Amino acid sequence: MSNNAAAEKPAVRLEHVTKRIGRKTIIDDLSFDIYGGEVFGFLGPNGAGKTTTIRMIVGLMRMSKGNIYIQGHSIKGEFKKAISQVGAIVENPEMYKFLTGYQNLVHYARMIPGITKARIMEVVELVELQDRIHEKVKRYSLGMRQRLGVAQALLHHPSVLILDEPTNGLDPQGIHDLRNYLHELSRKENVAIIVSSHLLSEMQLMCDRIGILQKGRLIGVEAVDAFIEKGAAKVRIQVDDGRLAAQAVGEKLSIDSKLIDETTIELPIEHEKIPVVVDTLVMSKIRIYGVAAVTKSLEDRFLEVTGGKSVE
Amino acid sequence: MSNFFGLLQNENMKIYRRSSAKVMIIILLGLILAAGLIIKYSVDQPKNDPNWKQTLTQENKNLEKQMASVKGNKQAVDYYKKSIAINEYRIDHNLKPHRGESIWDFVQDAAANMVMVISIFTIIVVSTSIASEFDTGTIKLLLIRPIYRTEILLSKYISALLFTVVCLIALFLASWLIGGILFGFSGAGDAYLGYADGAVYQSSWMLEVWKGYLLNCVSLFMMVTFAGLIAAAFRNGGLAIGLSIFTMMASSIVIQLLQKFDWVKYVLFANTDLTQYTTGTPLREEMTLGFSLTVLAVYYAIFVLVGWAFYTRRDIKA
Repeated sequence: MSNNAAAEKPAVRLEHVTKRIGRKTIIDDLSFDIYGGEVFGFLGPNGAGKTTTIRMIVGLMRMSKGNIYIQGHSIKGEFKKAISQVGAIVENPEMYKFLTGYQNLVHYARMIPGITKARIMEVVELVELQDRIHEKVKRYSLGMRQRLGVAQALLHHPSVLILDEPTNGLDPQGIHDLRNYLHELSRKENVAIIVSSHLLSEMQLMCDRIGILQKGRLIGVEAVDAFIEKGAAKVRIQVDDGRLAAQAVGEKLSIDSKLIDETTIELPIEHEKIPVVVDTLVMSKIRIYGVAAVTKSLEDRFLEVTGGKSVE
Repeated sequence: MSNFFGLLQNENMKIYRRSSAKVMIIILLGLILAAGLIIKYSVDQPKNDPNWKQTLTQENKNLEKQMASVKGNKQAVDYYKKSIAINEYRIDHNLKPHRGESIWDFVQDAAANMVMVISIFTIIVVSTSIASEFDTGTIKLLLIRPIYRTEILLSKYISALLFTVVCLIALFLASWLIGGILFGFSGAGDAYLGYADGAVYQSSWMLEVWKGYLLNCVSLFMMVTFAGLIAAAFRNGGLAIGLSIFTMMASSIVIQLLQKFDWVKYVLFANTDLTQYTTGTPLREEMTLGFSLTVLAVYYAIFVLVGWAFYTRRDIKA
């Protein structure tokens, strides 16, 4: 699989995408590329414009300005060619409740040429719904509906897969399976996968790159690992007297530390500096019970970048 | 348009798999049965008359007297002329009239009222088909396929009209069967006697009944299209159903009230009843069949264009 060759041509390209409703600018000049073989995460507080952006990518909403290309085809000018490449769940996977799961899939299969019965059963088995597929969707649990939603998105072997909140309603095992499956799709079949989620820990495990949206603007597109590491590291040290320890590192090393509780201080220092701090503390006759690096989660970093606004 | 047939299959599946479609068909059949039973047991069915030719001759004498008394009233005179001519035709051609309700009488009696019921059902079907997908959110997964919105809307509209055809066939078969069971199949082979331009003509009942269905369907067709427009523009099924049914019900009263104004002829409902030309009694004398068809075509074009424009252009926020 020539991931690098494919990476030269973006699977999805957004060019100066702007959406205005009335006088309000909902999405402001969004430009970025998503490549085959990667899982791209859309991150942002509610109302930041994640869903609006996804809706514009799949042609449910019109752009006020700019253009979106899917495998080189404009969603505006060549809708059919562009959308043929896309499988998606937009927000909740809403299906026809009065039909069975299988009838729902047949319904979508009829809308795209070349989907056989065998393919339908293949995706049914993939999402492990074969036992209940002939039951009406109204009797499905949220997790089963989510799986049926994934099944309809995969029917036509899309090269771009868009999943809005895909882990919603799935149990931990289901989330784990989905994550593995998405990784497999992106690595083996070179599918470009776009997910949005409010579960940041999920995103951390699932995504290769993330784009952060805030108030309709893109405030950064980065690789997940780089994104997390960019925030300075932190170290927590357990001592017998936190106050004295903080004073010591402040006076001798001029490092501002944070007192977590009576016996714990937190220092914003790099890994290499830990021995120096420990030496200083020892020399100041402070007893050390433990030193631990605090790894930042995506969530911490996200709050940092978006200015402490809650995600929910 | 290669997979347009598939789209029709989809829309049909969504119409008939809903429990409401089954309820509608049951109501339709129930109403036909109820009407049959009421006619059978509330109206006395006269005995067979062996001397029917004499009876008809006597009847014609009475009719002629009555006709003389209403001189000047063209409509009444025409009615008597028609009755007399048909009776004479029966005597001349030895065509025994059916006494009381016959199977075909019943099929024809059921036609106008039942087509009204079918209109209401089809309005519900087309409104639900177009608007409910916005309520349930299924519209999102529906419109992200390689199909233009125009094709989706067209498939919904056509499958709703196919629902009308299914209902009409059910109506015909049910009223024929129920009519036959209640009033006897003996009249099934009777010829239909019509009267036009001063002469009696013979025709098949089957043909006449379907002609009646079609004429009644003009109003259905326009109102279903109107409901589709409202559903597509406002994405609100309840509004589309309520507004269309209310307009349809109120139309005949409103038209009667406005009859004296000459602009009433441009109102849609002044033109939906095309039987006004077959009976020779148009709402206003200057109106012709061609005029009505033109008015209908203009309204139709407006409904379709506006509905289409809203459906294909507006953002999906559901």
